Amino acid sequence: MAALEFFRHPTVRRIAQIGAGVIFLAAALPKIADLESFAGSIHNFHMEPVVPMALTNVLAVTIPWIELVAGLALIANVKPRAGAVVYTVLMTFFTIAVIAALARGLSFDCGCFGKSGAANLGAMKLLENVGMLVLGLVASLERRG
Amino acid sequence: MDRWWSDGTERGGVLWGGVIAIVLTGTFLGVFQNALVRRGDKDDGLAWKYVPPKLDTLESLQAAAGGTAPTPAPAPASADPNDPLQMPADLGGTEIPDVGRPIEITVKTARGLVDSKGAAIIDAREAADYAAGHIPGAVNLPFDEVITDPVRLEAFDPKGKPILVYCGGATCELSMKLGYELVRLGKKRVLVYTGGWPEWTAMGYPVEKGA
Repeated sequence: MAALEFFRHPTVRRIAQIGAGVIFLAAALPKIADLESFAGSIHNFHMEPVVPMALTNVLAVTIPWIELVAGLALIANVKPRAGAVVYTVLMTFFTIAVIAALARGLSFDCGCFGKSGAANLGAMKLLENVGMLVLGLVASLERRG
Repeated sequence: MDRWWSDGTERGGVLWGGVIAIVLTGTFLGVFQNALVRRGDKDDGLAWKYVPPKLDTLESLQAAAGGTAPTPAPAPASADPNDPLQMPADLGGTEIPDVGRPIEITVKTARGLVDSKGAAIIDAREAADYAAGHIPGAVNLPFDEVITDPVRLEAFDPKGKPILVYCGGATCELSMKLGYELVRLGKKRVLVYTGGWPEWTAMGYPVEKGA
């Protein structure tokens, strides 16, 4: 497939990896600076049926740091493919959480990039997430040769 | 592949090893950092177990005060208990106690207070959301703006009425935080309508438009 071949091009994949890495750094740093807000944002998603509420803080403590390490790996080209897989898996979970929240009519600032003036959940947020997910898939493509 | 770093050709076991390494490193750093911060001061960092923010409800306070909760008058057999038009509309603000912290209220109480103009209402959402529609009589004090500008909150004069705060979230942590801030600034009888805008519109209650 020609399109897939284009995405397999080392330069394209490298750009996708750096882009994904920058996104994760931009997402991780404000959250690490304000863990309490991030815990509140996680709570807002109301995932208790699937994720026990008591785990909210554990997620809030660990997710931003996993984002940070994966983002650094992607940018620094150290295990970039592993970083891209972590990015893609996390982004898949985030996107599912956004869809689940929208489906239940919840509307709040998702805290995805920290608290700073982000818009409320909506179609734009979903589109943004899908875009970031595609970026992750491109970044995780296997390099040939 | 005999290098610990790679140029993106890793696959199979090496790839998954890398994935696990990244997740474990991140988890360790997060837990380590939080543990370190909490060793310094227990109030810093996050408690390991999450406790959701919770307010006393008006009903629980009234029950605790010795059964002064208003017993609903026996309704006609045909009455729908959920019909807002048949709810006691006049709360007048007189039954609301001052307990020195925000009190959570239900949509029913909120509707009563709005209809009787028994409370000064604060819409804590952003200006654009407020302009698109808000609870009648509400004043817009966007949380992000006023939380850094207490002067605007202090200047808010409820004219002796209780203050009703709401926002756009389903549980509305923002309005809770704003409620605590109002109490800290010395406001009395602060009520948080946690159902907020989504519940109000879902009930089909009257709204007002414009900035």
